[in-house]
Amino acid sequence: MGVLRPVAIAVAVVTVAFLAAAPASAHHSRAGYDTAKDKLTTLNGVVAEVIWRNPHVYVTWDSKDDKGAVVRWTGELSSPPTMLSEGLSKDTFKPGDPLTITFMPTRAGTPQGLVIKVVRPDGKIVLDLSERRGLLEQ
Amino acid sequence: MRTRTLVLIATFAATMSSAMVASAQAVASVPPPEGWKACPRCQNEADRKKANADDKVEGHRFNPRDLSGVWGNQGIAAFRTSPPPFTALGKKRFDETIGEKNAAGEVLHSKDTSGEGTASPINCDPKGWPRLHTYNYGFEFVMLPDRVLQFFELTHTWRTIWTDGRKLPAHPPEPRWLGWNVGRWDGDTFIVESTGFDDRSWLEDARPDGGWPHSEEMRVVERWRRVNYGTLEVQITVIDPQTYTEPWVTPKATIPLMPGAELWEDYCVPSDYNAFNRDVFLPAATGQK
Repeated sequence: MGVLRPVAIAVAVVTVAFLAAAPASAHHSRAGYDTAKDKLTTLNGVVAEVIWRNPHVYVTWDSKDDKGAVVRWTGELSSPPTMLSEGLSKDTFKPGDPLTITFMPTRAGTPQGLVIKVVRPDGKIVLDLSERRGLLEQ
Repeated sequence: MRTRTLVLIATFAATMSSAMVASAQAVASVPPPEGWKACPRCQNEADRKKANADDKVEGHRFNPRDLSGVWGNQGIAAFRTSPPPFTALGKKRFDETIGEKNAAGEVLHSKDTSGEGTASPINCDPKGWPRLHTYNYGFEFVMLPDRVLQFFELTHTWRTIWTDGRKLPAHPPEPRWLGWNVGRWDGDTFIVESTGFDDRSWLEDARPDGGWPHSEEMRVVERWRRVNYGTLEVQITVIDPQTYTEPWVTPKATIPLMPGAELWEDYCVPSDYNAFNRDVFLPAATGQK
């Protein structure tokens, strides 16, 4: 593992640089979400369900935890009209799609997050709410 | 194992790197079906700019007494100031709107009958007027010979502003969430006067918690003016001596025409909101399901 450390540090630097470039809407309550920039979390997962409804769209996905156990996560997005304006439709994600999802985690540690960015395995960004969430201004 | 880990890390770094580049690019919105228009909030700024250019909004001829059209962004900033000082009764009723908080001191539930928003126990009661003015979902004015209809995308409802010369009732037989409304022209200013409101609605959210209340005695006066083809201005005055010590003259709102948009339906569906609260909001806010 010692060999990996410099690489890991480099990745951490890249990650921090990315997050520093990455906004937070003040319109809705985000009670429970940790909005601190340094708490942003990124997971690889497979989409289980997309719930395209008011008041906010949400998506569930499965990710493996440190022990290899599958955990079902729930990611909150924004209202359907807002999602359409951001280029996301009800058909963008389908169950089974592999995605890399960056989100604000909950302080309580529940498997949930306020979704900031979604990237497909080929690097294509499906959604980036960094500006809408105020992360670019922090 | 080391090789696999290195590949994973490299992939992650490449993904983050490409994410940085792409995040600077504008993302296209989802286009409406062919021959249809987007909802006001379904457009992004590029869509609105294009629609304004296509419709030749700049310098377009207009009839200042024709308010018809789809308008966006409503008076969202109109009530983002504090009202005049409360009366004793107003203060008591405001205090009753303050909601519960979670362990971190964050607002969970404002005691709001409409319950719109993620922090509220949703029941989808009507928002009422003028609170419906303070959201950015867009509305449409339809001018008829004897009335003006104002349709709202948010909660998919409308109010009727009668222009046939009738007077406001001195004693409305029942309160209404959107009031009893009459309108008249004073030059090129459309003046709407309303009374007979249901006192369960709020004027607007109070920040950070609760909402500005009103009594059934509230009267509201709106002054609408189409200043050019693409712009509506409106100023709303709330007169409610039971709740406030003086009239609340709210800041003037400037509302853009949305030529590329049409109203979609945005219902408050109780079962959807219940599911959202149960599955998303409350677990996140309280750590409990």
